[in-house]
Amino acid sequence: MSDAQPLAAVDEITEQLVAYLDGELAPEECRRVEQRLADDAPFRLRLQQLQQTWDLLDQLPRSDVSDSFTQTTMEVVALAAADDVQGFATGAATRRSLLWLAVTAVTLLAAGLGYYAMHRRVEQPNEQLVRDLPLLENLDLYYHADSVEFLEQLEKAGLFGDDATELSANEEASHER
Amino acid sequence: MLEVRDDNAAAFEELVRRYQSRLIGVLEHIVHGRVQAEDLAQEVFLRVYRARKSYVPGAKFSTWLFTIANNLASNALRALSRRREVNLTAMAGNDSGAQSLEQMAAAASGLMPTRRLDKTEMAEVVRLAIESLNERQRMALLLSKFEEMSYIDIADTMGISIEAVKSLLSRARLNLRAILAPYVEHGQLPEPRELRGDHRQ
Repeated sequence: MSDAQPLAAVDEITEQLVAYLDGELAPEECRRVEQRLADDAPFRLRLQQLQQTWDLLDQLPRSDVSDSFTQTTMEVVALAAADDVQGFATGAATRRSLLWLAVTAVTLLAAGLGYYAMHRRVEQPNEQLVRDLPLLENLDLYYHADSVEFLEQLEKAGLFGDDATELSANEEASHER
Repeated sequence: MLEVRDDNAAAFEELVRRYQSRLIGVLEHIVHGRVQAEDLAQEVFLRVYRARKSYVPGAKFSTWLFTIANNLASNALRALSRRREVNLTAMAGNDSGAQSLEQMAAAASGLMPTRRLDKTEMAEVVRLAIESLNERQRMALLLSKFEEMSYIDIADTMGISIEAVKSLLSRARLNLRAILAPYVEHGQLPEPRELRGDHRQ
């Protein structure tokens, strides 16, 4: 196998070997790989090369972080926390104001609806009276009728309408005589 | 982390101390710079603090921490590439990087053709080799190597499938192998052209 594979395609064997090195193979598959490693020299060489590359990463120096980083990080977080609290307090005051406005608006609305309902209730009896006004104006005449059927007979005879008032006046005159 | 969730400041400071080196170490190789890595690490810790109330007991803190780190690093790289402020040629083997390798090669050839690099030089070569990988390969490799994360944890951290993790790690290791093989076997420096983004797949 050539080592000069600048952009070697990832094949199943490579994936299998990498997973084997990372301890990610199922036990049965692990056993198969180990059996092949015992018999297959190129397969073994491929594994060694992958392992060597992996071990080279240990050459990288580990980051050494000073205490000042911890301190500045805590300061940043503390400032952010203070800003969050300030923002919450401002938001709470705004929410309280909005709540009072809402309560006031609801109260006014309720008062308005109540006034309207009461106004309608007072007006209704008056409306009833207005509707019954023609009856009330001629109540004296209606007292002479015994029943509705009698009135209907009189209406058929054409005795209602403008003549009704004249008829009443004539009847009164005849009584006086 | 449960104590941090309950607003224990001392516990949070302990958390920072425990994870800062690991976090900066990974971020340094993702965003190519110590200063930016530290800034990002602080942002990660700030986000951890702000999200502390949503931490679920039993969940792996390191997976959660590096998930946030991965997201922030990806966002930072995208923002940098949009502003054209990052030195992309560093990842592709820029002049400064290539020159440093060429200088090293010249120095080496001036002495002995197969002079082995010392530890510092080797570390630099490995660092440049890692930076020649694409962002996802690099992150998967670093999480596997330095955080010793399982494939499942890497998949959770990066928001990808386990099969994708296998593919990324295999590809990353093959690419590293291709770059570093001459050094490993013959003690020679890799060709600078190999570090100019030819492995960004």
